[in-house]
Amino acid sequence: MGNIWKAARLDLALVRPYWKSVCFNLVLPVVFAAVNRSLLTGICFAMSTMAMATVYPFSIAEKNGMERLYGILPVPKGALVLGRYVFVLAMGLLSLGVSLLAQPPVLRLLGVPVEPSEIVTAAAVGALLFVLFMVFQVPGYYRFGSIKGRAFLYIPVGGFLVISLALSKVPAVGRWVDSAAEAAPGRLIFSGALILLTLCALSVLLSVRIMENKEL
Amino acid sequence: MTNYLEVRDLSKTFDTFQLRNVSFTLPKGYIMGLIGPNGAGKTTTIKLILNMLKPSGGVVRVLGMDAAGQAQQVKAELGVVFDTSYFSDQWTVSEAERAISVFYPGWDRGKFARLLEQFHIAPGKKVKALSKGMQMKLMLACAFSYDAKLLILDEPTSGLDPVSRDELLSILAAYIEDGQHSVLFSTHITADLERCADYITYLRSGQVFFTGSKDEFVDMFRIVKGGTEELTDEIRERAAGMRTFPTGFEALVKTEDIPRFPGLTVEGASMDEILVFTRREGEENG
Repeated sequence: MGNIWKAARLDLALVRPYWKSVCFNLVLPVVFAAVNRSLLTGICFAMSTMAMATVYPFSIAEKNGMERLYGILPVPKGALVLGRYVFVLAMGLLSLGVSLLAQPPVLRLLGVPVEPSEIVTAAAVGALLFVLFMVFQVPGYYRFGSIKGRAFLYIPVGGFLVISLALSKVPAVGRWVDSAAEAAPGRLIFSGALILLTLCALSVLLSVRIMENKEL
Repeated sequence: MTNYLEVRDLSKTFDTFQLRNVSFTLPKGYIMGLIGPNGAGKTTTIKLILNMLKPSGGVVRVLGMDAAGQAQQVKAELGVVFDTSYFSDQWTVSEAERAISVFYPGWDRGKFARLLEQFHIAPGKKVKALSKGMQMKLMLACAFSYDAKLLILDEPTSGLDPVSRDELLSILAAYIEDGQHSVLFSTHITADLERCADYITYLRSGQVFFTGSKDEFVDMFRIVKGGTEELTDEIRERAAGMRTFPTGFEALVKTEDIPRFPGLTVEGASMDEILVFTRREGEENG
């Protein structure tokens, strides 16, 4: 078993005693989707609440002074960090999976039609949202701890606001994106994925660097 | 003689504290006490050995390996006990084992179970429900389960009752019995070391005041006592530390200087007394 996998398992063991709180984060978005009668809203809510729950391994480790355990384990700090990212991604996948399984049937029961294309779009937007939260949050937690690091959660939110404002003020940008999407949707998706992967890589590198320079 | 731990010129500078050129060696099969008052640099030294802090200078070798360059191999051979548990308080003892055993290829589950039984720790009990002494034993059980060659204890007895302290010393004595294990035991409760330590390294204000065998350390000083009229300038000059009272004085002097003070009462000095007297001197000298 690789060191990264071992580190991810350690995080799972850390969070397991708090499974009820995690379950609450899984169930609440179903109710939210039903109230709002929208799959996209429900999925985005689910991914946002789960993104907030990714603080659990950080705050549990802080509460128990577990930096001493991390300091004595025979694994490189980089593997511990990568393990944390794997665990956080797994939390995101769990949330996405539960939401996709639970929300469409609930919405259909309420008489809200849910098309397959809508499910694909909601899943893509939800995953994008979660990854964006993750890439900013995790280095923040490593650098500033679980309380101060929470501020990094608002960077993507700020980013969305700025982009929305820019699109409303400069409609030409929106039109350009629309035309690019129509002309070459594949290229647009590829560019988006590339930007996201680059952000992920930078986030991991930054977290590893913070952890390696940290004196425990 | 094989050294399990070699510390050479270890230094670390903080804003308000400096560890300066700390050097000592711990041979295989022995227990070394790392002593000194609070703030002397014991925990800093241990964190540097564990590579949890980056040294400003110096080298640490554990079992012949470079502690910085071969950190993973070194840590696989080290067992560490801190003054408080480093497990999640929500874990049961079994969950703690499951969580960390995967990191040690040599982990022996049967041995861990036997140790829990020996230490009277219930596997289903939560870590937060264990007493401080039991938490310390749990950390020891973990270290013994992967047969850590070098055990490092950072103030494990602070806050423990005398019975738990006595149990710990018995466990450590059994641990080094086969001559294949060593212990570095940091404490400011020197009574623990009177019983089990073979070597002593005494840190004072971030520097090594003494390193060598315990017997050598205890033999190095005597306490001379006398009335006020017997307190001479020579005693003041040669004393490593002194206490004066309205009726007389007590001074810690080097054993070799004893013939210079005939007529005075001479007594052996305990490790505690050496620490107390020399700390006073250190503080007076700034």
